[in-house]
Amino acid sequence: METESIKLNHIGSDTMDDKYLIFKVEEEEFGIEISTVQEIINIVPITRVPHTPNYLKGIINLRGDLVPIIEVRSRFMMEHRPYDDLTCIIVLEREEEKIGLIVDEVHEVKYISKENTSYPPSAKLSYANQFVKGLGHVEEKVILLIEPHDLLHDD
Amino acid sequence: MDDFDRGAMLESFIQEMGILVDQLENTMVQTGEVYTKEQINEIFRIMHTIKGSASMMLFTEMADVTHSAEDLFFFLRENTPTVDVDYATITDLVLESVDFIKLQLAHMEDGETLDEKPPELMKNLKDCLSNIKGEGEGTDAATAQTSAGVQPTQGLPVATGDVNRYSALIFFQEGSEMENVRAFTVIHNLKDVATDVVTVPGNVLDEDSIWSIRSNGFRLEFSSNHSLEQIRNTLMQSIYIKDMQLEKISGEADPSTNVYMTTIKFQAESQMENVRAFALVNNIKDTVTILKQHPGDLLDQASAEVIRKKGFTMTVATDLNYRELESILQQTIYLEELTLSQVESAAQPTNQDATEDELAKEGVALLASAGDSDPLVDAFGQLGDTVSAAPPAIAQAVAVESTPAPVAAPVLATSTAASDAPRAKRAASSSVGMASDNDDSDQSKEKAGAKKPTTHSINVNVNKLDQLLNLVGELVISEAMVTQNPELEGLELESFTKESRQLRKIITEIQYTVMSMRMVPLAPTFFKMHRIVRDMCRQLKKDVHLEVIGDETEVDKNIIEHISDPLMHIIRNSLDHGIEKPEIRMQKGKSGQGTVTLEAKNSGGDVLIIIKDDGAGFNKEKILEKAYRNGLLVKPEEEYTEKEIYQFIFYPGFSTNESVTTFSGRGVGMDVVNTNLDHVGGTVIADSIEGEGSSITLKIPLTLAIIDGMLIKIGNDKYTIPIMDIRRSLKVTKNDIIFDPNGNEMIKIRGEVYNLVRLNNFFGLDIGYENVEDGIVLMLENGEKTVCVFADELVGEQQIVVKNIPKYIKKVHGLSGCTLLGNGDISLIVNVPAFFDV
Repeated sequence: METESIKLNHIGSDTMDDKYLIFKVEEEEFGIEISTVQEIINIVPITRVPHTPNYLKGIINLRGDLVPIIEVRSRFMMEHRPYDDLTCIIVLEREEEKIGLIVDEVHEVKYISKENTSYPPSAKLSYANQFVKGLGHVEEKVILLIEPHDLLHDD
Repeated sequence: MDDFDRGAMLESFIQEMGILVDQLENTMVQTGEVYTKEQINEIFRIMHTIKGSASMMLFTEMADVTHSAEDLFFFLRENTPTVDVDYATITDLVLESVDFIKLQLAHMEDGETLDEKPPELMKNLKDCLSNIKGEGEGTDAATAQTSAGVQPTQGLPVATGDVNRYSALIFFQEGSEMENVRAFTVIHNLKDVATDVVTVPGNVLDEDSIWSIRSNGFRLEFSSNHSLEQIRNTLMQSIYIKDMQLEKISGEADPSTNVYMTTIKFQAESQMENVRAFALVNNIKDTVTILKQHPGDLLDQASAEVIRKKGFTMTVATDLNYRELESILQQTIYLEELTLSQVESAAQPTNQDATEDELAKEGVALLASAGDSDPLVDAFGQLGDTVSAAPPAIAQAVAVESTPAPVAAPVLATSTAASDAPRAKRAASSSVGMASDNDDSDQSKEKAGAKKPTTHSINVNVNKLDQLLNLVGELVISEAMVTQNPELEGLELESFTKESRQLRKIITEIQYTVMSMRMVPLAPTFFKMHRIVRDMCRQLKKDVHLEVIGDETEVDKNIIEHISDPLMHIIRNSLDHGIEKPEIRMQKGKSGQGTVTLEAKNSGGDVLIIIKDDGAGFNKEKILEKAYRNGLLVKPEEEYTEKEIYQFIFYPGFSTNESVTTFSGRGVGMDVVNTNLDHVGGTVIADSIEGEGSSITLKIPLTLAIIDGMLIKIGNDKYTIPIMDIRRSLKVTKNDIIFDPNGNEMIKIRGEVYNLVRLNNFFGLDIGYENVEDGIVLMLENGEKTVCVFADELVGEQQIVVKNIPKYIKKVHGLSGCTLLGNGDISLIVNVPAFFDV
């Protein structure tokens, strides 16, 4: 009974803690903390910037703001695939700077409690796995939780 | 203090301090071998204000440092030192204090913790004071007395002999809680100095007394053989005291205490009058005892309004005489009007005091007849003989028949905001009528003259200006988007076209206005150089005069930030390498004193800053040799023109100095010049005549934000090249192309050969024409260098608003920013100097 009420509290609350935006790249589902997400927009023409890493696709004009765009596919060293109707840009706002992520599709916002997350196995099976900071277990599925900072910076 | 928005106060504090410190530095640098009275007064006044404000904001470390420096000047002001004073050392010390304060201000701004006061500086200041005091110390009783008056009394119990009865009413700050315990602390503090303490409420340790104290205050009566002021100091030691009224109810009048009533009005634009008044109270509380003040609670915002309308009225008790008190009050910043009158004279004043008090009273009487000059002349006549140490005089040029002795007249203190010490005014009055050759009187007259004109300017946060400029940029773009909307194409829109032209005109005007708002004169930046020249001259034992021309030239705020460092490095370089030591200069037949000229002027859309010195000039051979050793030469030595050779000095790590000194030799400085100028799209040119001097010219654009750009296409990508960098564009044929042995492409235009850079290759793009005959060649210029670039086509010329490339994308070689085009597309701006980087 007690655990039940705690859970309800969480779902009912307005806080953005432990809520994740679920998006898909290749056939895998990833989650990114909703508090970092500013908006989701359709794919738009991107102005490329020379002398930058290839996953950095360029910059877009978002209502007067210049936003750098990263393609998650190429960041994860996955094969290129042409953009389609489902391709979206997730615009993150961090440290007062906006950065866009190109993903295959965006699904939903899910609450994943801390109890339902676990650390990823230490063995890195694919390149993409190095960006995974945790595994979220939701309805029999496993969501790979991503830390935006790792995605944006080569360390 | 809690009632305040401390952030806002801190901001205005930092700003105010910044101005004062600059002013102080300014004055210090101007001081020659001996300080003039004016300078001493000015320095003292600034120090005093800084100290007061700093202690008001509880920055004790800062206050302490200024206090020590202030002591030094207090001594200089009140005494003619008997020993030789090393003014240069004092200047050094004060400048060091200035640096300390500046550093603290910077810390405050960044929200960092403040430094401890530097013990060495404090010690030096103290040593210096005792040095100049020399044997003169203590011989002049009057001096000792006055200086003791200004230094905060440490509450040392000095018995006055008779027992006085005092009554005090104390209110504690709201929210201090446990008022009864606070009250108990007060009683405890009094224990050593007072007897027969009676309190209301009686038993303070009873919980119920909290409420009584909170609403009615804590009242106490006690006997003590200490003076009112000492008691006051003792009581104020208790924390959380918000307000205290202390009265003497019986006993001998303090023999040296006079009671004055004063009303102070602040300048109209000063704002936060209550805080000013609070600062004043804080400033003077060491020297006077405030018996009554109106409004009572200065920390209440409402009292600002009261003070603005009626002025700030205080009744104070002090052992200072009229003149001293007046000069202290005159130091209030933003003072507009001061009236001071004596309510109660000292019981047994000294002879001199009596005269002065009389004078003071007559001064008040004279106030009534100030319109008429005759009584004034009489007053001068009467008083001139009787007084030697004269109270402040009327500095206005009242036509006084020549009076042999220093003329004295009580000041009609309502006259002016300018605070000034009495001596200056005495000097002024002694030369009324023959003012022309006397600086003092000129200045005093100026100060004492008509009220300061109200300044028609306000301070605006730079961020807001930046934002405004951005918005105007957006406006320019959206205007283009609307009026050149593709949906309008082919329509007959006579009136629309007319109206949109009007709109464009207005927008352009807004744009220019906003840009002009961001323009600031170069004077403060140039001024900093005086300090550098002075410091370096002291250390290098050179004699150099810095001449500044055209410092009123205005440049965009953002650009100014970038040129201060380059200027500093160039001037350092000139002083260290350029200007020779006096004896060598003499041998060469030059005057012993070197001159560095710093000149700014407008030239088209650019500002030129020229730094010229009459030193040794650059040594061409040395530079060439060094360039050769560093592997910088790309063609045979003899083919380099003079200007090309001089350009080497701006290369990183390039120094012809054999040894590294404090000032230069690491080869970093001039590199900074280049980098910083690159940032603002400027160029630097060096020139020199060996043996006669050198000149370095900085060419910087007036503004960064909006430039004329040429839009070009490479494949589908649009790039923008600043028009000012383009010399011309031309079509070329394959025959004009030449290859050097390394396969680099070069192009021959009218007999001259230039490097050809293909933009698509330069930017690593997989698009764009390969055949030079398909595209177009642009000849670009930067400073003395020229290069040709190849692009697909020219799209057109347009005004562009420069935006930074998002920070996440680190600096891209060859790009200086980006811009939004009329249709919302992004175009990258080409950084022309990048083509010349090896």
